[in-house]
Formats: sequence, C-alpha cells, structure tokens
Amino acid sequence: MNNADYALEAKGLSREFGGFFAVRSVDFRLARGSIHAVIGPNGAGKTTLFNLLTKYLAPSAGAILHDGEDVTPLAMAQMAQRGVVRSFQISAVFSGLSVRQNLELALLRPAGIAWNLLGLVSRRPEVAERANALMHQFGLVEYADALAGNLPYGRKRVLELATTLSLEPKVLLLDEPMAGLGREDIGRITDLIRAAGKGRTLLLVEHNMKVVAELAERITVMVRGEILAEGSYQEVSSRSDVMAAYTGQTGAGAAHG
Amino acid sequence: MTMIFGVPAAVLYGQLLLGLINGSFYAMLSLGLAVIFGMMNIVNFAHGAQYMLGAMTAWLLLNFLGIGYWWSLLLAPLIVGASGLVIERFLLRRLYKLDHLYGMLLTFGLALMFQGIFTNAFGSSGQPYKIPPLLSGGSNLGFMFLPNYRAWVIVASLTVCLTTWYVIERTKLGAYLRAATENPMLVQTFGIRVPRMIMLTYGAGVALAALAGVLAAPIYQVGPTMGVDLIIVVFAVVVIGGMGSIMGSIVTGFMVGLIEGLTKAFYPELSSTIVFVLMAVVLLLRPAGLFGSKPEPAGAAHQEKLEIAGPNPRRQMIAFAAMAALFALAPLVVYPGFMMKAMLFALFACAFNLLAGYGKLVSFGHSMFLGTAGYVCGHAAKVWGFTPELAVLAGTAAAALLGVASGWLAIRRSGIYFAMVTLAFAQMIYFVALQAPFTGGEDGLQGVPRGHLFGVIDLADPVNLYGFVLAIFLGGFFLIMRLVGSPFGLVLKGLSDHEPRAQSLGLDTARYKLVAFTLSAALAGLAGSTKAITSQIVTLSDVHWSMSGEVLLMTFLGGVGTLFGPVVGAFVVVAMQNYLASLGQWVIVIHGAIFVLCVLAFRRGIVGELIAFAGRRTNRGGAPAHSGPGH
Repeated sequence: MNNADYALEAKGLSREFGGFFAVRSVDFRLARGSIHAVIGPNGAGKTTLFNLLTKYLAPSAGAILHDGEDVTPLAMAQMAQRGVVRSFQISAVFSGLSVRQNLELALLRPAGIAWNLLGLVSRRPEVAERANALMHQFGLVEYADALAGNLPYGRKRVLELATTLSLEPKVLLLDEPMAGLGREDIGRITDLIRAAGKGRTLLLVEHNMKVVAELAERITVMVRGEILAEGSYQEVSSRSDVMAAYTGQTGAGAAHG
Repeated sequence: MTMIFGVPAAVLYGQLLLGLINGSFYAMLSLGLAVIFGMMNIVNFAHGAQYMLGAMTAWLLLNFLGIGYWWSLLLAPLIVGASGLVIERFLLRRLYKLDHLYGMLLTFGLALMFQGIFTNAFGSSGQPYKIPPLLSGGSNLGFMFLPNYRAWVIVASLTVCLTTWYVIERTKLGAYLRAATENPMLVQTFGIRVPRMIMLTYGAGVALAALAGVLAAPIYQVGPTMGVDLIIVVFAVVVIGGMGSIMGSIVTGFMVGLIEGLTKAFYPELSSTIVFVLMAVVLLLRPAGLFGSKPEPAGAAHQEKLEIAGPNPRRQMIAFAAMAALFALAPLVVYPGFMMKAMLFALFACAFNLLAGYGKLVSFGHSMFLGTAGYVCGHAAKVWGFTPELAVLAGTAAAALLGVASGWLAIRRSGIYFAMVTLAFAQMIYFVALQAPFTGGEDGLQGVPRGHLFGVIDLADPVNLYGFVLAIFLGGFFLIMRLVGSPFGLVLKGLSDHEPRAQSLGLDTARYKLVAFTLSAALAGLAGSTKAITSQIVTLSDVHWSMSGEVLLMTFLGGVGTLFGPVVGAFVVVAMQNYLASLGQWVIVIHGAIFVLCVLAFRRGIVGELIAFAGRRTNRGGAPAHSGPGH
C-alpha cells in the first residue's frame, strides 16, 4: 500500500515520562476506512499512544503522518481542523453548557462563525438546525436545555459522541467509549459507533473485548509500551503470548472485558 | 577606590548583601507558600499579612510585656501559627473540594482584615524595633563592613530553609506529608489522621512566615503594611521558581534577591521592577517555572452551577432597557456624582467579569488597565489638548495594548498562577507609574480638563457630563452583553469548562483567551479613561493592587459569571465607600470580611443567588427538573 493509504501512521514513536517509557518506538498504521482497536492490559500505553496520535501529548521521539504528511509539529486543534477528531476517556462534555449549546459550540467552527464576536448564536439557523438534527439522531431531544454536567453518565457519553461526530471527522479516535457504562448503554453506543464508522476511519482504545470483537476489523495489542501483536480478532485472540500478557494467566480472561 | 564595571566595589558588595538579605526573606516566604500549596492546593494570600503579624507580635511582646527578641523568635511564630490552625480548621477546610481560586480569594480577604485591624489599632506608619544587643555591631571583612545582625539573618534563614527541606524530603514525617498530597484517602487508611496533618502543615507554614517577620523586625520598619508589597514580589518569585519543589523555592528566593541587588548596583532605575521582568522572561521561555510546577489538579469544577442554562436574549434586552431607563432617571433622586462613579466602576467590574466570569481567568491585576488608561487619557487631554472623546479613545487603546502584551504572557498559565502573574504585572505597572515623569507620582495627575465633546458639547455642564458617562457605561455594557451571547462567548465559556475538549474540536483556545483578555483590558481602560475625565484626577490608587482587589470584590459580591451581577456589586461597594467613609480603615476590614463571607457561604453572589432562587421556583412549579436521572 502507498503511504497515503494510511489515515494515520506512527514511525518510531516514543514518549517518556521522567525516565519511564509509556510508549517505546512504536510503528503503527491505521488504514483508511478501517475500524481498528488498540487493546492491552492497564498501563500498556494505549492511551498514551492515543494522546500522541491526536497531538494531545508531544512525542519524545518519532514522527506522526496523516494522509502521508508529517503532522508531528501540529497542535491538537490543528489536527481537528484536518479532520482528525478524538474523544476523551473521562467523559468530556462542557458541563456548564446545555446539551444544545454543547453541540452548537462544536458546530461553530465548521460553520465558519467561531470568530463572530457580536452576533447571536440563535440567529444562525444552519447551526441551530444541525444541532436539532443531531439531538434527534442521538436521542437527546428531551435533554436539549439541560446542563450537560447534570446528565446521567450514559447520556454524557452519547452527547460526547454526538459532539465528536458533529464535526464529520474523517478520522475518529475514541478513547474507551464504554468505560463506566451499564449494559444497555453499551449496546446502544456500540450501534452508534458502528454507524459512525461507515465511510470513516475509526480507532478505538477499549477494554471491553465483546465490543472490540464486534466492531474492530483489526486489532493491535500493546504491552509495556510496545506492540505485541496485530491482526484480526481471531488471529490475535488465538495467540498464547497475547493471552498471557493480557490476562496475566493463560486462557479464559480475554474473552470478556 | 576599587571599581567593578564602573561601580565602586563597596557599593556593589553592599547591594549584594542587601540582595542576600531580601533573598533570605523571599526564600523563607516562598518556601512557606510552596509547603502550603503542595499540601493543600491553596495559595496563601495571607502569607504577607502573617509575616507582618509575626513582626507586630514581636513588637507588641516587647513594648507591652517586655519580652525581648530571643523569646519572640520562639513565641511569635507559635502564636501566629496557632491562629493559622484556627483559620484552617474553621475556614480553609471548607474549601478543599472547590476551585483553588476560592482559597486565594478567602486568604486575600483575611489579609485585608489583618491589615485593616492593625492599621486601626497602631496607625499605618512603621515602628522601629531594636537589634538585640548580642547581635549589634559588626565585623570588618576587609573588603566590606558586615553588620552582625544581617549576617545572623542570612544564617538563620538558610538554617530554617534547609531544615524545612530536610524534614519534607528526607524524613518519615515528610514522606507521609508527600504521600498525603498524592493520595489522602490511602494515607488515611494507614492510620494517619490526614485532616489534622493538613491543619498542622498550614500552621507550620504560617509560623514560618511569622518567623520571617520577627527576623525582619529589626531591619525593616514594623508596620501593618510591611507584608503587602513583599507578598506580591514573592508571588513573582513563586512563578519564576514554579512551586514544584521545596529546594526550587529556596534557590529561586536567594537568586532573585541577588539579582535584585546587582540591579540596584548597576541600574537602580530598574531595581523595583526587575523581579517582574524576570518573571516575564521565565514565562516566555519556560512557562512552568525554572524548577517545574506542581500541576494544578484539574479544576475541581465550580460547584455553584447556575441551574438555568443559557440566557434568554429577549429577557436580557428588556432588563437592559430597564436599567438604562433607571440610570437615566436616577440623578433626579440620587447624587449624580455617586451615580457616575458607580457606573464607571460597574463598567470596570463588567469588563473584569468578561474574563473572570466567562473565561474563568481570574485576574488579580486589572487595576493596571484602569490606571494606565486613566493616565494616558488624562495626559492626552491635559498636555496634548485632545478632546475628551479622543482622549478616552487614546486611554482605551493604551489599555488594549497593555492587554495584548501582558495577556500574551499571562495566558500561558491558568488558575492560581494566572492570578499571581497578573498581580505581579500590575505591581510592575504600579512601580512604573510611581517613577514615570508624566504620572505626577504621589501627587497624581491633577487638573485633567473635561473639555468639549467633539469640540462642541461642554462637559463642564453636569447634565452633559452625566449623559456622557451614561452613554459610555451603557455602550460598554451592551457590547459585553453581545460578546457573551455571541459565538465567541460560547467558545469562551466552553474552553473555560474543558480546554482540551475545545482544542479537540479544532478551536485554537489560546487565541480566544488572548482576545478575551484584550477586550477585557480595553473595556477596563474605557472605564478608567472616562473616570479620568469625570473625576479630573488620576492617582496611584487607580493602579494599586487594592483597586484590583476592589473589582474582584464587586464582581464576586454581585455574582461572577452573571451579566448584571458586577453592576449590582459595584453599586453596593461604591455606596459602602461613600456612606462608611467615616469609618476609615474599617472599610478595608469590612471588604475583607465580605470576601470571606462570599467565599464561604455565598459563592454565587447576589444576582447569582437570585437567579438560582428563581430557577428553583420555576422547577418546582413547572416541568420536573432536567437534572433528575432520566432513563
């Protein structure tokens, strides 16, 4: 494959925290249009890799390529402007704003009015309509005027996903989208993510193996800051070293989150 | 006579010694701040006042009980430290779950109270304190004369600093302290009473400040205001060092003192501002400070959320029109001078609130914009003969420029560091105003002409003047109202809620913050310029830190983050100043007490509480609250 066939590519990527390498010379490729999951035990460096790829953290060494272009020096906001948008592990909503305002805020920049200093948001029908449509699509209509900080946890995650998708990103990175969710919420959000993955490149860090098996076409296993294995769910889950590393024992564990 | 780079050697050594002495105090005080901050995440604004309390206690012990220096060295820290225990137990303990700024605001209130009480009791002038006989005299080192007491201060300070460092970094007690900072719950399970440990830490930090005060008593004059300017310099020291390590604070303290001494020897004009210049350079090159910062734990989200989201633009317009009508008619019943003063302070507070309330960037240095604009406007009107509207424009532009420059540096930090940085910059501007030729120094810039608006309308006419001020206030307020309701305002609110999330949506948050900072500065400047025209005088008090404190007070009392809150707060505070003027320094004590009360019991402020009350009523009456679990 050509370089530009990868939505994101990491070359020799490392990140050091005071002598400790959370990520150590990782080479990683995210094929365009795929749904790709990164798994691994706690402390394996998944989230750090994720933070590096989205430029939330600066790498200690190595390079990051987006569509074959070197984007290592860019800031997170610039990555988002290129269509690479992420979610956060700890549900990231603007808790002091209403659900509607959360969505409107995300839509301002794509609508080209984020630098409008004196107009009224409510006078911009395209933003308001798009926010309404998103609330319908994600079942948030009844919460439209509620403060996002007051939402039940599952709804916060839905709102976060809706906000992320409102930018119509080309590359979507989700950091543990199922963390802290109950069973019904997991089903609903899995469906939403699958729908969101259509026509997009999607990378997720996730602990819930059932979700990973259901969603991901390709899986990368990380252990101690390095990549241990990569392949389809069947390929990866049949390897004994993956089992051992992931569960600390052989057998059972890896099949459920 | 030996010369070193054109400076007599004796002068150089003398200034270096003085720098070392000052550095001793910087080190001891910034060390205490770092210990308290490390343990409690509170920036102890009262630290300067507690240093003053130490010196005052020593002075009181000597003059009323005949207890001398050496006993005071032990007793004063114990007494002041004990008062610290009480403060922690009954006041600070209630704030640990809140945003760290509340701790800074509360201790700021306490500092005002201490200072006011002692000024009332003993007057504001300094009292001498004799050097103990054992340490009088000095020794000739050959190249310079070293007074014994100064040598003692340096030795004592080094000993205190290194002992503190040793206790915290090398002993078991220190290990518990550091562990409790990381994970109080876990340390609690080891059977250690963490709350008591925190209380004792605060007490020890305060005692350290008091000890510094006793050491300082024979060198500087003992007076109620001796700690005020010092604490601001120490804040700058803390920003330079970063408060990340104990040793870092000690080293930075001595280093800054020495650099200050060198500056006094080689370029005395810069000596009072060099610390702030250093701070600016560090912010530019190494924003986290020379020794790194203890990362501020992610804002323990403002607890006092208003229950209603998003203002209703139509209702806002109605309220605005009502306010305009009220203020236009007010001179019929209220003294117009009061109204004009209150409106201009209201505009100042609204400008501050744009940044503090909506951007959650709480500046402790907004006086620099008010004062600078005032001086420039006054100078333009008086010396250059500008018409009032052009003079006001010049003042506003000057404040905006200062806003861009200081904001560009200040927004590199957030939260409490932002507060300290802005305070330090404002202090720098204060010293510039004190020395600059065109400000009139202590006398102020007097006799600013009111002139003719557009060369036509005579502002000496009280009705015209009132109309001018009313128009400026309403115009400024309307602008802020629109800014808050605009897409820009939404971005500002969002990024103050969760900055990384805003960045992940592709918003370049630093630029939004800088624009908000600059707009806030310009609008504060608009208020300051207009004030120069109406009151016809600009004084140092307009650039003084206490002015920044007043605007904080107005905004928090009225309701930070509400549109009309700062207006209400400004009217209350200006009315208090007018009607309680006969109480003198007690007004400062009352200001301090209001800060403490606002932080403890009243965080939404007057207007915020009203909105919350209205919100609760509608929720109870109408549809069930959306805050309920909605599955």
